[in-house]
Amino acid sequence: MQTKKFSYAKWGYIFSIPFVVAFLIFSLYPIIYTAVIGFTDLKGLGMTDIHFLTDDPFRNFKTVLSNPSFQTAFQNTVVMWVLNFIPQLGLALLLAAWFTDKRSYVKGQGFFKVVFYMPNIITAATVAILFKALFDYPMSPMNDLVISLGLADKPIQFLISKNVARAIVIFIQFWMWYGYTMVVLTSGILGISPEIFEAAVVDGANRWQTFWYVTIPNIKTILLFTFITSLIGGLNMFDIPKLFLLGGPDNATMTTSVFIYNQAFSGSYLYNRAAAASMIMFVIIVFLSSILFYLLRDKDEAQMKKASRRRAKAEKVAVKGGK
Amino acid sequence: MSKRLMAMVLCLCMIACLFAGCGSSESDTAAPAQPEDNVINLWAFTDEVPKMIEKYLADHPDFGYEVKTTIIATTDGAYQPALDQALAAGGADAPDIYCAEAAFVLKYAQGDASQYAAAYEDLGIDVAAKIEEADIAQYTVDIGTNPDGKVVALGYQATGGAFIYRRSIAKDVWGTDDPAVIKEKVGGGSGSWDQFFVAAEELKAKGYGIISGDGDLWHAVENSSDSGWIVDGKLNIDPKREEFLDLSMKLKENGYHNDTQDWQDAWFADMKGVGEKPIFGFFGPAWLINYTLAPNCGGSAVGEGTYGDWAICESPIGFFWGGTWILANKDTDKAEAVGDIIEWITLDSSDTGLQYGWANGNLYGDGGTKDCVGSGTVMAKSDGTVEFLGGQNMFDVFVPANAFANGKNLTQYDETINTYWRDQVRQYTSGQKTRDQALADFKQQVADNLDVIVE
Amino acid sequence: MSEKRSDQGMKICIYVVCVFLTILSLFPFWIMFMNATRSTTEIQQHAISFVPSTYLLSNLKILLGKSFDPMVGFMNSLTIAAGSTVLSAYFSTLTAYALVVYEWRLKKPFFSFIMAVMMIPAQVTMIGFYQMVYRIGMTNNLSMLILPAIASPSIVFFMRQYMYPALSMEIIQSARIDGAGEFRIFNTIALPIMKPAIATQAIFSFVSSWNNLFTPLVLLTDQEKYTLPIMVSLLRGDIYKTEYGSVYLGLSMTVLPLIVVYLLLSKYIIAGVALGSVKG
Repeated sequence: MQTKKFSYAKWGYIFSIPFVVAFLIFSLYPIIYTAVIGFTDLKGLGMTDIHFLTDDPFRNFKTVLSNPSFQTAFQNTVVMWVLNFIPQLGLALLLAAWFTDKRSYVKGQGFFKVVFYMPNIITAATVAILFKALFDYPMSPMNDLVISLGLADKPIQFLISKNVARAIVIFIQFWMWYGYTMVVLTSGILGISPEIFEAAVVDGANRWQTFWYVTIPNIKTILLFTFITSLIGGLNMFDIPKLFLLGGPDNATMTTSVFIYNQAFSGSYLYNRAAAASMIMFVIIVFLSSILFYLLRDKDEAQMKKASRRRAKAEKVAVKGGK
Repeated sequence: MSKRLMAMVLCLCMIACLFAGCGSSESDTAAPAQPEDNVINLWAFTDEVPKMIEKYLADHPDFGYEVKTTIIATTDGAYQPALDQALAAGGADAPDIYCAEAAFVLKYAQGDASQYAAAYEDLGIDVAAKIEEADIAQYTVDIGTNPDGKVVALGYQATGGAFIYRRSIAKDVWGTDDPAVIKEKVGGGSGSWDQFFVAAEELKAKGYGIISGDGDLWHAVENSSDSGWIVDGKLNIDPKREEFLDLSMKLKENGYHNDTQDWQDAWFADMKGVGEKPIFGFFGPAWLINYTLAPNCGGSAVGEGTYGDWAICESPIGFFWGGTWILANKDTDKAEAVGDIIEWITLDSSDTGLQYGWANGNLYGDGGTKDCVGSGTVMAKSDGTVEFLGGQNMFDVFVPANAFANGKNLTQYDETINTYWRDQVRQYTSGQKTRDQALADFKQQVADNLDVIVE
Repeated sequence: MSEKRSDQGMKICIYVVCVFLTILSLFPFWIMFMNATRSTTEIQQHAISFVPSTYLLSNLKILLGKSFDPMVGFMNSLTIAAGSTVLSAYFSTLTAYALVVYEWRLKKPFFSFIMAVMMIPAQVTMIGFYQMVYRIGMTNNLSMLILPAIASPSIVFFMRQYMYPALSMEIIQSARIDGAGEFRIFNTIALPIMKPAIATQAIFSFVSSWNNLFTPLVLLTDQEKYTLPIMVSLLRGDIYKTEYGSVYLGLSMTVLPLIVVYLLLSKYIIAGVALGSVKG
């Protein structure tokens, strides 16, 4: 077995060639560029003579880390990610479980699955404009509602409050992405061999037990994907915070990506500081992802093997049955 | 095995061909531009200038150049990055003529990107004489002058601002809608806001607000300051700009306005007179009347909505708001042709120049919108009578307004710094924080995000 | 009996939640379609309305009266989105296959490398990319927006995660015994098994490519190469005079093809071409 696998090793390399070639052509230069200019004095437009900071190579990194706005931005980013990701994952899991439950078919689930993903196909700019209009002051549908319900006697300036602004960004993120997460998880659940579920039914497992002991362990690999991509996406959150309130009010919705963008484009063209901040975020994300990988690793690998074995068994059964 | 290899090789070939294809198609598009060399690249952020140049080409069939237009909207923030890359990359596709808006023209005329701008005199334009002859508004010249004292950018519009008010409300409160009287009532030309707030109190007594929101006041305040946000690389809060905190608070505490934000629903509603309380007026240049007030007034003829119920008088403090400047690339190899177009747009004060048609609204045929132009000479011989303003000749007010506008207190950071400033002012007036805290936070934001020394 | 009742209760609960979420999901589309029929001033004064107005035709006229042709934009958008989707789906599955099926020495480092690439924040990296494209004179070349999709780390990651439990080595072994080549096995056995995963990622990839505004905006400056979102952004022009009605009409027209593509591909997600299909 071992020797046989070895002989196929070259195909591993061959099949990776397209990815590597495309990466070398399109991404290598931009990435090296970003990594390098963090150590230089590059700022301003059309600068051609760039100097490395020889006296203190990490000056830009220190400047960024001690920058109060960066610290605020980092806190905001973490808070807004965690608070939108937990309910998002919960709801997505729930919906995915409902829609893949073979025992009770939800009528119209095809329709629901399609519809729930739809907030994701509208551009972020449109979403931002709509929500801004919804909560505007002094005239907006939300203010009309609040006043007609008698909750307030004069218009409320919703978006001046830091917490309200943050809550709305969290809601938008949640609302735009739970459908996506649901689709990902659903596809993961549908990848599980039906025989496993059938076996669970035979064993007399109820719905909750099936979900917890069969579905969840079998989509662990996909869950890891969801965690990691959401972590990356969450810590790089940009569109909505930037387009909705420009990171305001009073920096309440400024994320690290908005901070990086502001460093690079809002007047001073501090490309070096922006690049340093990018690299700092990169290190943080790598660190956190490694933890996630580590936490889910052993079980993950074991799970993969087990699933593979289980599947193989099921396959044999299926092949026999088919014949 | 060989079959498999073949498949792989074929696959790679396909990719390679794709690249080769790109390469060759690129040289195809680049090729005609170089030998013939009769293409002028124009970069703009709306179709306003491209349309003007189309008109120029139509009027000058023997011009001999064709114009290739690139339009990128400013609203999504991509115009500047794309323009910067195109200017830096150079070559045959580099812009020959490019436009810049008031919010960022400083960067291209005096700031980081001024290195790319050609002096008008190098395009064969006799700038000094032409400016004098056309009587170009001084603030537009100041903005378009690079650090070496050469003019590199000029506009066609003039965007000096006035106070635009409702005639019916003026009659109700002061018994007359005569601009000369109202000017006295609101302290027009007085250089201070004292009289303006006296008027606000009188209006309030009758149930009116004087302006829609503090944003209306901001442009006037911003422009009235003696110094800009940055002086010698340091953040500088001019006392007159700092006073905006207090003015804004005064408006809010006394209920002198509807507390709207510019460009939001409630602000537009006040133009139609359907806001919380009727609003007396707005601060703005001619384009605000043309593009914003008129379409939002709820009608298109006298008697409908607030159409025709408006008049303009001098603002307490002179200011300008917006405008488009035209620049040329110093590396252009068609300097003369580029110069001809630019001169026609920015400095030609004859009856066949662009500005005459622009001021009289007959550039593309009769009945167009009349607008203020950079040339005082042109406006002096044009008719600025507008039905929307109840038949008032708007040039009577706007020509002096252009002279009052100040183009010397701007920096390339204004767009960003103004955003931070207005945000903190709102925090203060809405009671979220104290005046000192707002100032401190403002300074912190500027220090954190810009390469500016803050003390 | 009691189980049946609890079943019923759960069903009601499911439907209440689903209907509520449906309303939340459809609301922005409704507003968008309504605004496409309203005039600019109507929208400026009340950005949100649940009832249509009568300006659909005049908005359409403004849209068609611009110097660009929406059909050209549609074709460009389609070329970019379809091209990058096909490339990213196919080559990412291929790369994932290399990571799952074969044992090779650099496999683990290669996977870590792909993960690292995925984690690099985009804002600054884009500056380098723009610079590169402008330097080598490849602006206005649609391939610059299509070919990079061959290396899509997050899709590779997803495919790998999906493939691990879904693809059994036994099938591959038996195919090898039947004498099929590796490339053939991938195309005829692995790809069909991966259909739900490919459909899922294809939708995401198509949507994000179709909606991508900023990169095309910077890289495509020739009118003939404009995509639909660029045209919509041009309608917004500058804040001083925006034709909101036609902007919303343009947005509505941009979103319709997406809905069609989604409906087409969602069939795979909904039905699930799970492993069961292999046994037939």
